[in-house]
Amino acid sequence: MPFRHIMVAIDGSAESQHALDVAIELAGLVDARLTGLAVEGPLPAYAATMAEVDEVKREKDRFFLKLAQEALERAGLAGIELELELRPGHAAEVITKYAREIDADLIVLGHKGHFLHAHLLGSTADRVAEHSDVPVLIVR
Amino acid sequence: MGTFGLAAILAAVILAASMISVEVGFSVALIELTLGVIVGNAFSLHVTTWLTFVASFAGVVLTFLAGAEVDVPLFRREWRASILVGAVSFAGPAVVAGAFAYWGLGWTRQASEICGIALSTTSLAVVYAVLVESGLNQTLVGKRLMSATFVTDLLTVVALSVLFITPTLWIVPFVAVSLLLIVGLPRIAPTFFGRYGDRVIEPEIKLAFAALFLLMWLGDRANSQAVLPAFVLGLALSSHYAQHRREQERLRVVAFAFLTPFFFFKGGMSVSLPALWANLGILGLLFAAKLLPKLAGVYPIARHTFAPHGAFATLLMSTGLTFGTISSLYGLDTGIITRTQFSLLIGVVILSAVVPTAIAQRFFQPTTRDEHGGGLPTRIAPEIEEVG
Repeated sequence: MPFRHIMVAIDGSAESQHALDVAIELAGLVDARLTGLAVEGPLPAYAATMAEVDEVKREKDRFFLKLAQEALERAGLAGIELELELRPGHAAEVITKYAREIDADLIVLGHKGHFLHAHLLGSTADRVAEHSDVPVLIVR
Repeated sequence: MGTFGLAAILAAVILAASMISVEVGFSVALIELTLGVIVGNAFSLHVTTWLTFVASFAGVVLTFLAGAEVDVPLFRREWRASILVGAVSFAGPAVVAGAFAYWGLGWTRQASEICGIALSTTSLAVVYAVLVESGLNQTLVGKRLMSATFVTDLLTVVALSVLFITPTLWIVPFVAVSLLLIVGLPRIAPTFFGRYGDRVIEPEIKLAFAALFLLMWLGDRANSQAVLPAFVLGLALSSHYAQHRREQERLRVVAFAFLTPFFFFKGGMSVSLPALWANLGILGLLFAAKLLPKLAGVYPIARHTFAPHGAFATLLMSTGLTFGTISSLYGLDTGIITRTQFSLLIGVVILSAVVPTAIAQRFFQPTTRDEHGGGLPTRIAPEIEEVG
């Protein structure tokens, strides 16, 4: 099946870097449009001071700036144009919704084996695979 | 248990609170408060003189910082649109919860006033976090909401300072010094900070602490308290801190590393779980006495002022944490309220930090897309330009 619009979820982990590499390669092979999505987790809930919120927000901004620069650099080296989007929320929910919104026909994401999440709560990749309307490629 | 034994336990629990906060994504204050309740009751820890001293000072520092965090230019622009909703947000629960405590629960007049004040607050920090997370802090609705929250907080601080004054002659130097600091410190700040600032020995933090201790001492002698002048002093210095973020951050580091953990932990330690358990029904009624007047009073105005996010804004105006804790601890420390009454108030404060926020985020949270009628909330590329 020829993919026209591939969406890759990135979070800075080794698994997601690997997923990005695969998505870049795949987009090159099938000449598809490539969109990267980073999901910003929540700020401290029920904060007592604005300073606490500001600090976490600044950390997140720095993190996502670095993440974006690295992703653009990787795509640029492969000669692929990468569009990037940053959205707040819970990862699996945002990934599935955004894929629908941009009419992506393939979601690529890495699989992280964090014990607590994977065994007790289910990983983000598992949840996306379960709830997504479009094909999901989980990169291990 | 000796002084150092208690200090060691508190330090360990405070450290654990920070780690839990990072892991679960909840604010450290809420975790400190909760762990204070658990550890204080489990080990029957008693609040000592030194802990009361540190926590009292921390409460004043928190108030000062809250004032310094206010965006005064924003408030100047938006106060007309937000003053009514902020005032109703304060007055509704202050009157209803106070009246319920007085006539319904038979609390003393002063205890009922503490109840009304503690439950009238809106948490600026909780509102701010939700607005930043949704991107609404950049919109007119978000700015008005912050401004209205500030009005509520200011009225809370004024009420806490004015209602319990039994003035002595010391009120004269207390007022005079307060005015002198509020007017004078912002004027000398550039010169003082230019000459002595940005050093490891931190003269600028020592200046702020010296001013706050002076206010606490004079307030104590005048049978009043330093909350109002500390808040206004923070406000007066907010423009200076807005231009010198590093100074403000260093002050925050000192406050959050050493002072405020003891404040929230002491608040938690002073809660009696058995008393809370025995009065669960009253806890629910007090929570309703805070929430219902906020919802009923704020929503009719908010649906116009914060259109199209009236319900979302109303729920956020119903939150509370820091000033509710400060007011309740003031009542406990001065003997106005009993430990059971304090436990109930802190229980309601914690519930009001969590429940309205969770409902607002789960069912009413807008995205900036709603504001701009289309486009995406945040694209990374423009953010690179902004951040970089």
